[in-house]
Amino acid sequence: MLQFVVRRLLLLVPILLGLSILVFVWIRALPGGPAQALLGERATDESRAAIERQYGLDKPVHIQYWSYLRTTAQGDLGTSVTTRRPVTEELKQRFPATIELTLAALLFALVLGIPLGFVAAKRYGTAVDHGSLIVSLLGVSIPVFFLAILLKYVFAVKLGLLPTVGRISARIDLNHPTNFYLLDALLAGDFNAFWDSFKHLLLPAVALGSIPLAIIARITRAAVLDVQNEDYVRTARAKGLPPRVVDERHIFRNALLPIVTIIGLQAGLLLSGAVLTETVFAFPGMGTWLVEAIKNRNYPVLQGGILFVSLVFVLVNLLVDVLYAVINPRIRVS
Amino acid sequence: MSVAQAEAREIQLEAPSGLWREAWRRLRRNPGAIVGFVLVVLFVIVAVFAPLIATHGPREQNLALLQGSCCPGPSASHLFGVDALGRDVFSRVVYGARFSLLIGVVAVTVGLSVGLLIGSVAGYLGGWIDSILMRLMDIMLSIPGLLLAIGIVAALGPGLTQIMIAVGATQVPIFARLLRGSILATREADYVLAARAVGVKKRSILVSHILPNSLSPVIVQGTLALATAIIDVAGLGFLGLGPQDPSTPEWGTMLTDTTRYLQTAPHLALIPGAAIVVSVLGFNLIGDGLREALDPRFRGRG
Repeated sequence: MLQFVVRRLLLLVPILLGLSILVFVWIRALPGGPAQALLGERATDESRAAIERQYGLDKPVHIQYWSYLRTTAQGDLGTSVTTRRPVTEELKQRFPATIELTLAALLFALVLGIPLGFVAAKRYGTAVDHGSLIVSLLGVSIPVFFLAILLKYVFAVKLGLLPTVGRISARIDLNHPTNFYLLDALLAGDFNAFWDSFKHLLLPAVALGSIPLAIIARITRAAVLDVQNEDYVRTARAKGLPPRVVDERHIFRNALLPIVTIIGLQAGLLLSGAVLTETVFAFPGMGTWLVEAIKNRNYPVLQGGILFVSLVFVLVNLLVDVLYAVINPRIRVS
Repeated sequence: MSVAQAEAREIQLEAPSGLWREAWRRLRRNPGAIVGFVLVVLFVIVAVFAPLIATHGPREQNLALLQGSCCPGPSASHLFGVDALGRDVFSRVVYGARFSLLIGVVAVTVGLSVGLLIGSVAGYLGGWIDSILMRLMDIMLSIPGLLLAIGIVAALGPGLTQIMIAVGATQVPIFARLLRGSILATREADYVLAARAVGVKKRSILVSHILPNSLSPVIVQGTLALATAIIDVAGLGFLGLGPQDPSTPEWGTMLTDTTRYLQTAPHLALIPGAAIVVSVLGFNLIGDGLREALDPRFRGRG
């Protein structure tokens, strides 16, 4: 098992190096080059030359790449063009917001999606089954931002049950040691703050989670249908095990494999979807940050943000692989 | 009837109808695929005949309509109401079908052709070329799709052509991997060995033996990719990275800023959004139907 994890970790090295080269090349492909990107619209020839000297952009490319790699590895992602604050500092505020949102969305998708798929498979061919198929088909056909707008319209604007924008009400005073607002509220023991940020989180999380929910339900249904006809399930039934035990031990545990795989694939969809969902709800996470950055040509933020999110994405996939090996002993051997 | 005739007749009865003909038969029996087909045909008709269907020009403004408040809802002269700049929403949605169709087809064509090229070269040549190309695809896949597209738009600048290229680029690794896997599976087939044994050239083995037999998963993925491309391009448009001329009737761009008018004019958001859902649903239904029709695991059932 340990060997498997180490091998997968080593495979990460070329991916991360490749990623850093890609971002490095991308910065140099930007209109006007990196100096222009740092200076923005006000660049003059002199200031550009000064910046190029300061950042070593007049040196040979391989030396530039090496120094870029070194500073990035030390956690220095440069300074935001608009706020003049270090990108890493802003990242520390923005990133927890997006993670809180994605985790909440994933939780929503799993808690509803797996049972829905399970029930649909158990009631194969009935109205419940057809209903779940239609819902999951609609789920993969609706753009996440449109779903977010619909939910916002119904629950926030029409019914007025939930707040329309932001992470927390302005009147609530709360310290943010972790920037995970729900966690911060718990740490402070402030129930009001917890409830308030929970209400702010609810709609974006449901919007973001609905599409993965549809996909997870569909995959669960297919996996359960597949496993249900296996010989070992028949044997388990034949020897008189209670149906619930067969469901839990024989069907569900084996159906879990494709479900875990699909959860890994959802990670990218969730991170992409978060950008759009955050925009609809003016949720101050990575998404709104990056979209703002692209409009202001704030390239240090874009570079740092994309690099960091990709790093997280790669790590999540590693985690899924390891989890997969834990569930499926056959993988560990090969 | 002689024995020979009877045998001939039996052979004829049992003759396999061929992959494509059988797939077509199965597709026609799939109610989902039929609905999808109808939706897509409708979508294409609206796109092609937009000037005949639309009641107003897509950029035509009538500010007089906005005097009461923003924005008048559906009425006899404006079926789907009027937007914040006094333009007819129905006509804009109709013209928007053109953009979505164009965008979807161009983006998928970009992704498909580059992906197929990379995938077939990697799969057929193998060795270090394969390793390098596939590691490159892994790296592209390590950036979440929309972020990769955003990065490309940042480098190319916002605009309709740019977002089509960006969305196409995100699909390259998917097609490359798919075709490579499919080629690796067919490369070892007996008919390829036979072709090699009689001295057929490498390139024509690839083009006339391996590719046609590896294509059915690509066709399925291509149809589903059209759906994803329409969604992704609309997403980039929604973020304001699409056509820089805001009067362009692109569905995603039409949704930008509509959240501000949700209270008074929800139709501004609901109608372009519904148009996206309907067209995407059509491609998804056809894609699912094709998968069931072409996948050998489903063949022989129904």
